[in-house]
Amino acid sequence: MNLNHAAAIMSAVVCMVGQLHGAEVSADAMTDAQRSALQKTIETCAACHGSSGRSVSPTFPKLAAQTAPYLELQLHAFKDQTRADPDAQAYMWGMASQLNDASITELAVYFSKQPATEGKGGNTALIAQGKQIFVEGVPGRQIPACASCHGAQAQGNGPFPRLAGQHAPYLLKQLLVIQSVLRTAPVMHGVIKDLNRDQMQAVVAYLESI
Amino acid sequence: MTFRPIVFEHGFSKLLALIALCGAITPSWAVPSFARQTGMACAACHTVFPELTPFGREFKLNGYVLDNIKQVTGIDVENNQTLSLNSIPPLSVMVQVTYTHTAKALPDLGSAGALTGALAKDGEVLFPDQVSLFYAGKIANELGAFMQLTYDGAADHFGLDNTDIRYAHHLSFGGSDANDHHMIVGLTLNNNPTVQDVWNTTPAWGFPFSGSRVAPGQIASAQIDGRLGQSVAGIGVYTWFDDHFYAEITAYTAAVPGGNHPLDSTQSNVAHGLSPYWRFAYEQRWDRHSISVGTYGMDTKVHPGNGTALQGVTDRFKDIAADAQYQFIGEDHLATVLATYIHESQTLDASVIDLFATNATNNLKTFKLTGEYSYRRKIGGSLGYFNTTGSADMTLYGAAPATGSANNSPNTNGYIAEVNYLPWLNVKLQIQYVGYEKFNGLKLNYDGAGRNASDNNTLYGLVWLNY
Repeated sequence: MNLNHAAAIMSAVVCMVGQLHGAEVSADAMTDAQRSALQKTIETCAACHGSSGRSVSPTFPKLAAQTAPYLELQLHAFKDQTRADPDAQAYMWGMASQLNDASITELAVYFSKQPATEGKGGNTALIAQGKQIFVEGVPGRQIPACASCHGAQAQGNGPFPRLAGQHAPYLLKQLLVIQSVLRTAPVMHGVIKDLNRDQMQAVVAYLESI
Repeated sequence: MTFRPIVFEHGFSKLLALIALCGAITPSWAVPSFARQTGMACAACHTVFPELTPFGREFKLNGYVLDNIKQVTGIDVENNQTLSLNSIPPLSVMVQVTYTHTAKALPDLGSAGALTGALAKDGEVLFPDQVSLFYAGKIANELGAFMQLTYDGAADHFGLDNTDIRYAHHLSFGGSDANDHHMIVGLTLNNNPTVQDVWNTTPAWGFPFSGSRVAPGQIASAQIDGRLGQSVAGIGVYTWFDDHFYAEITAYTAAVPGGNHPLDSTQSNVAHGLSPYWRFAYEQRWDRHSISVGTYGMDTKVHPGNGTALQGVTDRFKDIAADAQYQFIGEDHLATVLATYIHESQTLDASVIDLFATNATNNLKTFKLTGEYSYRRKIGGSLGYFNTTGSADMTLYGAAPATGSANNSPNTNGYIAEVNYLPWLNVKLQIQYVGYEKFNGLKLNYDGAGRNASDNNTLYGLVWLNY
């Protein structure tokens, strides 16, 4: 897959999700009952994902500042059980099962508006290697730049998730389950097909650091 | 640790000898009821059941109410919710089948006195050791229960086992979206001091999570260390602040099932008045690690009963304990360290008058340290050290075959080694070995009848099913 191909797929998916996502939910437009229900749901999420989506354990991804369309897509995928990696089944199938479309949108908007966490430093050489992969891809293996979909600062873009500041072990696990197709992610299957474990470790170390 | 050895305080009646021999364990466990209610796998709440993960602790502190199944609901005319009930009751079943072998067979106690020189059968299978039915989950919004009914195969008895009913309310303040501070304020109504606790360092949910009910139990344990389980009722208030600080105060009073009611002299070890229980803990989580340190304790006045009136002067037990837990939960490797130390000061005014004890005051110190490891929650093991020391008392800890103490001492120490295999998350196959360095005061001839501490070394096999 070349960069143009990836960009074309990205545009198509962004467009599709834009239609799915619909209008943003305004907190002001919510009734007291809705606000209270949302608050309760957020408290439930916080048990794993941390206060305001700033999770402590790398088992659970940080949700703060994640893109709303991505969160919405994932919650739907948990609910209809199309995202079926081990942790999705263990934790999120149950958690998302009773969410309705409106509450999924509310949650997605809420977490997308939380301030992002700061990056965490690590092995400098590994981070530099990871940055190169993120920015330039691995041309020899036909692996496009991650930045082409996830944004130059890994800030995410619509359905393409924010990766900046995310726990490295979580990201590594996602790359592995996507590569093994335990987690379905059509664009990513092609993109990371030939990404090896060392390269994965480098790129997630970089992402955690920014 | 869930050894529930019986203090051999009231002479040497065969009844107590039987209890002491049969032991000694109140198992504790996790329940698929919660999985049914939440739709989440066991691994969300447990490292290896019944030990809790940080999320499991949060779930319990929140009153067992997290639900992800269809609710039967009701509202009043002002749109206030009047009912929110699981459409499927969160029920589950636990079965334990066990095998026990002691290094040397135990004395034959007979039905009308021990048969001199005769030994009981060794290599005992209990089928079942225990079968339990649980209702564990939501009752209403913010109200939930962990309730267990157990058939005890050794005692051939069915009754209410560990029960914890709790209400939990969540508060957030100090910021709206940022949720700068959050706390849970809750109430607990339970029948076993520490059953409401969320760390696996306290007695009700401590290591070992299961053990032989056939092998001899040590002669002494602190009141808070299992002696009051299912014979008290307590109501308490707790708070959990910012996922760091825990504080609880609970008051217990006697609530003894079975036997004569109103409670009378046929009962034994009956709590008098209100017994305050307290608990403070601090937990820090980082990356995949968590560590907690805490203290807990209880001040209990007790009527010895056992043929003496439940009135007049009482014994008094002041238990003060410290505990610590470390947990690492990786993708492949999980490790836990559990430690607890309990100091009990005993003032035995009633027992001295009733000739159950010689000393007016005694002390008892219990220390337990355990390390656990699991690979992918599939295969693992534990190694635990336990040590009980205390003042000698010639009446309280008298000599008796297998169960007594020749030097009137409660001092016991040893180790527990376990290997666990979990073919599924809700099925545990376990081999456990308990080795004693000292038992009831001595290494050799501890009972005055020729039995050595190592004769009580126990091989224990367990098939533990939850469904």
